[in-house]
Parts: sequence; structure tokens; C-alpha cells
Amino acid sequence: MGFNFIYFYDSVRSGIEYLPNTFELTFIPILVGLCLGILIAVIRVYRIPFFAPLLAVLITLYQGIPLVVALMIYHLLFMATFNNFAAVLHLSISMADINTIWIGIFALSLHATCYMEESIKGAFFSVDQGQYEAGYSVGLTRLQTLRRIIIPQVIPVALPMLTNNIVGTIKGSSIVMVIGITEVLAGSVVPASKTYAFFEGYIAAALIYWIFTILVEKFARRIEKRGDKYRRNLV
Amino acid sequence: MIEIKNAKKSFGKNEILHDVSIQVNKGDVIVILGPSGSGKTTLLRCINFLEKADAGTLTIGEQTVDLKKASSKEILEIRRKTAFVFQNYSLFHNKTALENVMEGLITARHIPYEVAKKKAEDTLAWVGLLAKKDAYPCQLSGGQQQRVGIARAVVLDPEVILFDEPTSALDPELVGETLAVIKSVAERGITMIVVTHEMSFAQDVASKVVFMDGGFIVEAGTPAEIFRHPKEERTKQFLARIISAENMYYI
Repeated sequence: MGFNFIYFYDSVRSGIEYLPNTFELTFIPILVGLCLGILIAVIRVYRIPFFAPLLAVLITLYQGIPLVVALMIYHLLFMATFNNFAAVLHLSISMADINTIWIGIFALSLHATCYMEESIKGAFFSVDQGQYEAGYSVGLTRLQTLRRIIIPQVIPVALPMLTNNIVGTIKGSSIVMVIGITEVLAGSVVPASKTYAFFEGYIAAALIYWIFTILVEKFARRIEKRGDKYRRNLV
Repeated sequence: MIEIKNAKKSFGKNEILHDVSIQVNKGDVIVILGPSGSGKTTLLRCINFLEKADAGTLTIGEQTVDLKKASSKEILEIRRKTAFVFQNYSLFHNKTALENVMEGLITARHIPYEVAKKKAEDTLAWVGLLAKKDAYPCQLSGGQQQRVGIARAVVLDPEVILFDEPTSALDPELVGETLAVIKSVAERGITMIVVTHEMSFAQDVASKVVFMDGGFIVEAGTPAEIFRHPKEERTKQFLARIISAENMYYI
């Protein structure tokens, strides 16, 4: 199997063209995952009645579904019900007006939420119960203790795990190709439909993902270093 | 004046406090003695609502609250009148010594930053740690951490400071410096309730010694009464064992 650098170059260019889609498919889920993840983690750490056990069951169930399967289900549900749904709400839009990228974003967001919640919850449990009690004992409210004492200690512990989750989401975003969304992976093999240079196409996609994840990891390491000044002397 | 009336607490079927009542006058130093599992620490934690008692009332100054049914607003008010010194220090790991001492002043009492800083620095100087004000807890020895813990409690000018075995996590060399600081807290006239196993400290500093066992107050009185002329058999037993152990330690 030969390697054609011209085809490879074409594939890289075509893949980069679709980078904005990959950005959408990663950064929106990461943001949603962070916000919902923190919220759910706090609900579970503080054992809020009703919600904490409910969310625990939901997350355990959802984590057992592979991302591809979830995507297929949402896509099918979308195609089967959208027109009826629009009719009920008297919306004058048809299925074709909706960009299917939102299905991908939805599925990735739910997965990111589950994984990030687990990371954040784990980091919460690394903070000693005495830290909460010390906060209460000097007269801080629950919220003040959370904001000023607990969260600053949770962040440095959670960051390495969250970086992992973020890199996982970036790579997971390539899976949305199966419901016909064109992102970096699908984009890289677009030229191959004419030239049959699939090998060059996949290598191009790998290269783009690799650079993207390396940059994200470098950025995350820099933040991690800033966050742990009080732990520097912990052995 | 602080008064605990009929405090009861059980964890599951295990009853830790059976109807405990204590009265503390302003400026008193109450030392609670007793074997492990006698409910000393639980009593202390119930006063600060770190543990919710099953029954009983607590009076601090003018305010009386139900130990079981206190609202979160009442709990916050009580906590702002009391301070707690923990067995394992529990300094805020993410804050420097100075920030640890300032936290309650700034966030809970809304004292202006500069005023709080001045007060916190004075208090740190008083426990002999002004030079360490920018050190994080992980950079301090156990004795230093506990002294910061004491400063964090004293700076709030609470009506009572609750000490939960403040020296039992320290190695013997560091116990002395910490006890000296606690002693000077007592000399300031601050009301204190101290749970400890340091008998000589109890003899020197306490205005009243309370002996607890099995969730009951067995005996209470002045240090002279308790140490020289204990009335109850259980107190004599406990003291005989402790005091002979202490003598052995000096040999």
C-alpha cells in the first residue's frame, strides 16, 4: 500500500475544514457536562433527598449504554417523531430544517455529564469531612463553606480526571459520523470518495485529532499547575 | 452562661449520651474526662451542632434552642457564638495560616478586610506564629497547626471555645507548646469546654472537672475534689489507672 502525500494533504485540508463541527461537538458537551456534572455531584455529595438516589440510578443506567447505541436510538427517535412533534406544537419547520449535529451534541452532552459527574464526585470525596466541619464551626453557611473551602480543594483533584473526560469527548465526537454528521473524521475521507485514498484520509484524521488533544492537554496541565500551590509540599 | 439540659444521642441502637446536663458559668474552664466511647466528644459536637442530638436544649447567653429541632438559622447563630478546636486541627488546606484565622471574620461576620487582617495578625502573634502567617497548613508542624487552629477559634471572640482532644494527635514533644497556648486562652477569661486526657492540664487549669462514662456524667467537681477525693467507685478506678500510667511515662 503506497502513501500518496498529495492525497494526504488534500485529506488534511478537507478535515480541517470540518474542525468547527468537531469544536461544536466537543465544547458544547464539555460545557453542559461541567455545569450539570457539578450540579449533580453536589446533589449527590450532600445527599439531597429524592434527587440524589434518583440521579444515582439514572447515571448508573445511562453509563451502561455505549455512545453509538445512544446515538442510533436518538437519531431514530428523532426521525420517527419529529414531524408529529412539530405538528402538535404547530411549528412550521420540517425535519430537514434541523441540523442533525444537534442530535450528536445531545448524545455527547449526556455522556460527558455522566463521566464528568463521576470525576467531580470522586474529587469531592477526597476532601476530608473535617473541612466541612471546620467551615461550619467558624460560622460559615453551607453554601459559603462549599464555595470558599470545599470547591477550591475539589478543583485541583478533579482537573486531571476532567482533562481525561475532555480528551475522551473530543475523540468520542468522531463517532457521530454513523448518523451522517460530517466532522473531522468524515471530512478527512471526503476526498477519498473520488480517489479511494482512504488510508491517507484516516491518517489525516488521526493527525488532526492528535494535535487537537495534545493542545488541550498542554493547556490543562498549565491550569493544573496553577491550582495546586497549596499542595506542593504534600508528599 | 451556657447550659446543656437533658442531651440525648444515639447512633442506631448504640446510645452514646443518656440525659446529660452541664452548666457552665462565664469564664469557667470545664474539663471533661473519661474513657474512650464515654460520649465526651459527642457532647461537644452536639453543642456546635456538628452532630444533631436526639433530645435536649442548649442555652447560650440569652438564647435557648432545642438540640434536635433547631432551625438552620438558629444553628448558624449558635455556631457564631461558639468556636471549635479539632483533634486533627482541620485547618483549611487551601488557605494560609493568616487566611485560616481571617476566614470566619470576613465571610461569617463581614468584618472589613483590613480590620480582620490586623486582628488575625495580632492573634497569630499571640500564639507565636506571626512569622508563619503565609505558610500553608501542609508546611506547618502538628503543634503549629493546632496553634493556628486555636487562633482561628480565639479570633472570633466566641462565648465559648470547645476543645476536642486538642493534643491527642500530637507527639509528646509538641503537646507542651500547645497546652501552654490553651492555658493562656484560659487566662484571657474565655469560657472553655475541654475534652482531654491530659490530667496535669486538668489539675492546673480546670475550674471544674466532669467525669463521664458510658454516656452519663458520673461525677463533677473542682479538680481537687475529683483528683484527691473522688466519691464514685468508677472515678477512682479510672484515675488509678490513668495516674499510674502517667507515672510510668515519667520513669
